[in-house]
This record gives sequence, structure tokens and C-alpha cells, in this order.
Amino acid sequence: MAKTAQEKADLRAEKLYKKTHKRKYRLKPGDIIFEVINYLIFGLFTLACIFPFYYLFINTISDNDMVLKGTINFIPRGIHLGNYTALLNVSDLSSAFLVSVARTILGTALMVVASALIGYLVTKQEMWGRKFWYRFLVITMYFNAGIIPVFLNMQMLGLTNSFWVYIIPGIVAPYNIILVKTYIESIPGELEESAAIDGATYMTIFRRIIWPLSKPILATIAIFGAVGHWNSFTDSLIYMQSAPNLYTLQHRLYIYLNQASNLKSLMQSGGSVSDAAIQSALSGKIIKYTISMVTVIPILLVYPFLQRYFEEGIMLGAVKG
Amino acid sequence: MDKSKTAREQASDKLYYLVRIAILLSVVFLFVPALNPSRICGLINKNLSLFTSGIAYNTLTADFGRAFKKGWVLKSSMQILYASSLAICLGIAANAASGCMSLGNIKFKKLGNLIAVIGSIVELAGMAGIYVAYGQVALTEKPKKVEPMFPGSFWFVAVIFALILITTIIQIVLLAKSEKEEKFEMETRFKLFLMFLPFIALVAVFSYLPLWGWRYAFFDYKVGDTLSMEKFVGLKWFKELIKNPATVRDIVNVLKNTLAMSGIGIATSWLPMAFAIFLCEMKNMKFRRFVQTFTTVPNFISWVLVYAIAFCIFSTDGFLSSFLVNLGVWDEGKNLLMDGSHTWLKMWAWGTWKGIGWSAIIYIAAISGIDQQLYEAATVDGAGRFQKMWNITVPSLIPTFFVLLLMAVANILSNGMDQYLVFKNSTNTTSIMVLDLYVYELGIGKGSIPLTTVVSMLKSIISVVLLFGANGISKLIRGESII
Repeated sequence: MAKTAQEKADLRAEKLYKKTHKRKYRLKPGDIIFEVINYLIFGLFTLACIFPFYYLFINTISDNDMVLKGTINFIPRGIHLGNYTALLNVSDLSSAFLVSVARTILGTALMVVASALIGYLVTKQEMWGRKFWYRFLVITMYFNAGIIPVFLNMQMLGLTNSFWVYIIPGIVAPYNIILVKTYIESIPGELEESAAIDGATYMTIFRRIIWPLSKPILATIAIFGAVGHWNSFTDSLIYMQSAPNLYTLQHRLYIYLNQASNLKSLMQSGGSVSDAAIQSALSGKIIKYTISMVTVIPILLVYPFLQRYFEEGIMLGAVKG
Repeated sequence: MDKSKTAREQASDKLYYLVRIAILLSVVFLFVPALNPSRICGLINKNLSLFTSGIAYNTLTADFGRAFKKGWVLKSSMQILYASSLAICLGIAANAASGCMSLGNIKFKKLGNLIAVIGSIVELAGMAGIYVAYGQVALTEKPKKVEPMFPGSFWFVAVIFALILITTIIQIVLLAKSEKEEKFEMETRFKLFLMFLPFIALVAVFSYLPLWGWRYAFFDYKVGDTLSMEKFVGLKWFKELIKNPATVRDIVNVLKNTLAMSGIGIATSWLPMAFAIFLCEMKNMKFRRFVQTFTTVPNFISWVLVYAIAFCIFSTDGFLSSFLVNLGVWDEGKNLLMDGSHTWLKMWAWGTWKGIGWSAIIYIAAISGIDQQLYEAATVDGAGRFQKMWNITVPSLIPTFFVLLLMAVANILSNGMDQYLVFKNSTNTTSIMVLDLYVYELGIGKGSIPLTTVVSMLKSIISVVLLFGANGISKLIRGESII
């Protein structure tokens, strides 16, 4: 049914009238004060959560001289990407970046596959000693030998100063296994049974039925695992004492943040840094900001799209209690 | 099938337990440096396991540069050693495979026995090779530099290999013949178990094996030493913890910080709940979603990045300083991070900034699960906004709150070290030092291994006790366990 423009406008006006008047009559002054304060406090806190990232960002893309004078506070000026390209000259940073990316991808992939497989296996009643082995595995969540014994253990295994210390100890993650197991238990058993009747082996059932059906939970643990790997910093600090080429990006950032203001000497090792502009770009504050930004960007880019999975993750955890 | 087992088969089954244990042992000492039979001279790194010496020739001979150049040690003898170690590694792998196969049917067992025989012969040949290499190294011109030594575990390892060989041969004799058309088969329960086995091994190595490191608490140990019974000191380090005035002072201070910061956290653990309740009072869904999204972001950045944020806002040339200087409020920038006052509160504030949005999600979900009719009924009865919050929302959130509170109490000693490590500086050292950070600095930084092992040990035990205590309370009050 077509409506004329006039009718539409009338309708809108009517709605607006109703809306405003409803409010007016329903809201008491106390309510208004409450609403205002409530919105204000949440608004301010949200600002406190966003603004630092924004401030960091505008200071890395603005004109370096202005940044050093401290005039860039709210609005970026003299936008350029020179700081980011200058970072490419710093060899220890690019290697740290690669290490972080490699451990995030490899570590997460192995952890997810292992969790899925273990989660599936421990639902199989017929396994020899199932209950015992499941407890053997899950109970490790609640005790910890302590940082020094664990360190000595890694040393004994020859894993210190080795990339594999980032990956191997994290493959079996008891908490994630519980999540996957709980999820797999909710998949109707008939699916498996009918496949078994058709002659499918356990591995086939796992690949063709369990894996595809448990993708939501696997996505959730993958995201948490990836964030954990990307943010991980103390393992680099503890285990890589004589392998600086295997430092993670977070560890590098920590080192840079603690460095005295002049980092030019460090840059020299990175190769040809002759350009005066690049040199000034790499001075203290700006390089710290830029590396911070490089480290935080992956999280900021990924988070809004995957927020749903993050929230599902915490709820699954809550169900388990 | 069980009933029809002959005496022969039963003997065979029992013998298999022995073989499996022997194989398990050989796998274990493949990775334990202290039991490395290939350490035939002092030049070989003490922390080298048999596995590494059989895999990486360069690591094995890392300290031999001079010895090779001066001709103290022949390259060929080290190559023999390397080849022998490699042979042993392969042999042990073969044995491990045969151990798994012994869980299958007779045809599987037969193949497994064959592999085990070959494997243990290869192992024994490897041991002979190590013996030869030792004979050559022992003839060196410079025994003081090369320090030839007969590996202490040599005979022990050799005996185990021989044991595997002999028992396997007995097994071959004992085993009944399989029918020709029989296929390789294994009972489902063992098949599943074998799929699970690698993960059990990982857990054993990375979660249970470290407990073996607690023995350092009873020895005088410095980094790089070997443990020997002469260095056994009993409870010396435990006493040191109570008696040495300097250590006691440190520990008391550290505990004070740890408990204070955990205490502040626990005292304010209702904040996320309040956050969720007030957030849900907002009618504008878009704004609510916006707030929720952006307040959860800080939870997913590392503590190093939180420090980077703190740096860009509060340091001398950070946002706050430059903003206030530009306004003329301050004459010059101040580095607020280098201010050592109110450290506990500041740490709490950073923790809250990072975590509150995320912690609130669980409460938000709980609130959306509350029956709306309760609110409607309350409205009809004339309840105001705060009355509804206090009498409907809060009581329905209390169970969740209670669980989280108990978990927080159980974790009272573990506040992690990341946060305190990154925020630590010369002005706030005394008030920021928490237990985890203290252990890290003393153990890894200063190499005081036994003392920190004692602290780690006590902390682990107390944490487990607290956890089970909390669980007990939960069972008592709610009839539900939290772990």
C-alpha cells in the first residue's frame, strides 16, 4: 500500500509525540537523575577503555616533531606511516613478530586438535582405564609444582632456549578438554552409532562427525588459545634467557618499554638506518608507542568480529562452574 | 576366552607386564640427563639426555672444538658415540612400538616380539659402540681436560636392554601359533587407550614430572651443579625460611603484599556484579552493546600492553602530562609511574580497568535469565528501581557471586607475576613484590633454587588445601562442588 509523503510525515509526528509524551509522564525526576548518572558513568568508563588505544594510535601516525612536543592529544595531525615502515628496519622486532605469529598459529592448532581428540576419546566408555586417565589429566588443573621446579624440568628436557617450549607444554589443556568433552556429550549418540554400524572406525567418526559438529566449541577454545599465545610473555622471559632471537613480541615490547629514551644504538644493529627522518622517528617515545600499537593491533582487529565466541566461552565455563 | 587360557598363556601375559615396565623405563631414561649412558667424558654437557646426543651431533660435540683441534679426542670416536646413541634411540622407539603391539591379538604380539628382538639387539649394539668410544676417549693425552669417565648408568641401562631381549625371546617360545588367516586385531578398549597414550605421556612429563623437582628443596644446589647425596641437607632450607632474619623479613613483606592485594580484590569482588546490574538498567540496547564491547577489550591485552598504555598516559611525556602542561596546570611533565605511593590501590585499579567488563559478562547473562514476571509483580506491588535491584536481581546473582568468591579465596596466594613484574620500578619495589614475583626474581634471577623450591612447594600445598577447603564450604552451604 502506497502512502503519500504527507501521510508518512503525519505518522512519524504522531509516533514522536507519543514517544516523548510517554517519557514525560512516566519518568520521575529521580529516574532522570539516575539515568543521567548511569549513562554518564558508563560512558566515562568506556571512554577510559577506548581513549588510551586511540591516543596511542594518533601518536604513531602523526607528525613526529609535534608528537615529541606533546601537542597531539586528541586530533592526529600530519598523518604519515613512516614509523611503521621504519620498524621494518629493526631486525630483532621482525624476528620477534614471526616467533609470536608462529607460536600463535602452531600452538593454537595443535591445542585445538588435541583437545578435540582427547575430548572425544574420554567420552568413550569402553576405553581401558577411562575414568582413571581422565582424572589423571584433569586433576593437573588444580596443582602446580611451582615456577622453579617447572623451569628445572624444562631444562632437564632440553626445552630451554628452544621454540618448542612455547608449543609442547600447552598442547594438553585440561580446561579446554572439559569444555569439549561436555559439548561432545551433548551431541546425540545415535549419529555415532549409525556411523559405527556402517563400519566407520573411531578415527572416521571423529573426523566426519565429531569434528564438524563440535566446531562452535572448537572455535571458542581456539580464540582463547590464540589470545593466550599472543599475549604470553613470562615463558619467553623465563625460558629464553640465552636465546634472544626467540623472544616473543610481548617480551620485546617489555624490553623496549624499559629502555632508556635513546634507542638509536639498538637500531644500528637492524641495518641501514641513515635517514635522519627515520632516526628521529625511532627516538624513544615514538618507537615505544609504535611497537605497542603493532602488538595490540591484532587483538583490536580480531576482537569485534569474534566477540560472540569470547562470550560463549565464558558462559560455557560458567556452566561447568 | 579368559577361561580357556592355558598356563602357558597366563605366564606369557604376566611376563608381558615385566617387558612393558622395562620398555617404559628405557623410554624414561632416554630423556633423563642424569641417566645418560653416553656421557663418557666431562666435555659432554651434563644436561644432555641420551635422546639429544642421538639426535643432534652438533649439540653433543658443542664443547669439543679445542679437543678436536688439539687431537685430544678423535673425531671418529665421537662419531661412534653419536651413531651408537642414535641406534639406541631407534631401538627404544622400536621397543616402545612393540610394547604397544603387545596389547593386540596373537598376530600383533608376534610382530611386536620380532620388532622388540631387533630393537633390543640394536640397543645392545649401541651400548657396545658407547663402550668402544669410551675405550678410545679414555686413552686421551689430556685426561684432565677431557675428563673421561665411565657413565654410571651404563650397566643399569645395559641390563634393562638385555632383560627386554631375553624376556621377548621367552615370549616367542611361549606364544601359541596364530592361524594363518588371522588379521591384525586389537580390543577396542586398548585401541582407544593407545590413541590416548601420547597425551598421557605429555601430561606426565609436563605436569607430574616437575613434582620430582621438589627434591631440590632438600639439597644444597646451585645452577649447573649435579645432585649427589653429599649435598643432601635435609630441612635446612625450611629452617632458613623461618630462622634467617633477612629471609624472614622478605617473606613477611611479600606475604603482606600478596594478601593485601588479594584482599583488596576480594573485598571489591562485588564490583563486576554492580557493573552488570547497572549496565542492565540502561534501556538503550545499542549503547549497552557498545559499552559491553569496549569495556571487555582490555581483558584481552597482555599486562605488558597494559603497562604500555599506562606509559603512554601517565609517563613524563604521556597524555596526562602534556595535556596538563598545555593547559598550564602543571609547569612540567611528571612521571606518575615512578611514584611509589598507594601501590596496592594502583595495582587494584589497573586490575579493575582490565578485568571488570569481562567479569561482568557472566552476571549479565545471569540477569537476562531472571524471570521478568518477578519484576512485573514487584512493579505492581509498588517497588522502586532500587528495591527491585536489591530484592530481585541481587539475590538471583548471589550463587554465581559465591562461587567466584570462593575461587578467589582459593587463589589468594596466586596473583600471578605479570602485572607486578611490568609495573615494578625502583620506587615501588617493596610494596609491589608479591609471592610469585619474589619466587621468580630469587630463583631465576639470583639462582637461589632450593629456597625458592621450598616456597613454591609450600605455596602449591597451601593452594590445594585452600581449594579443597573452599570446595568443602561450597558443598556444605550450597550442596554443590565448585571443582
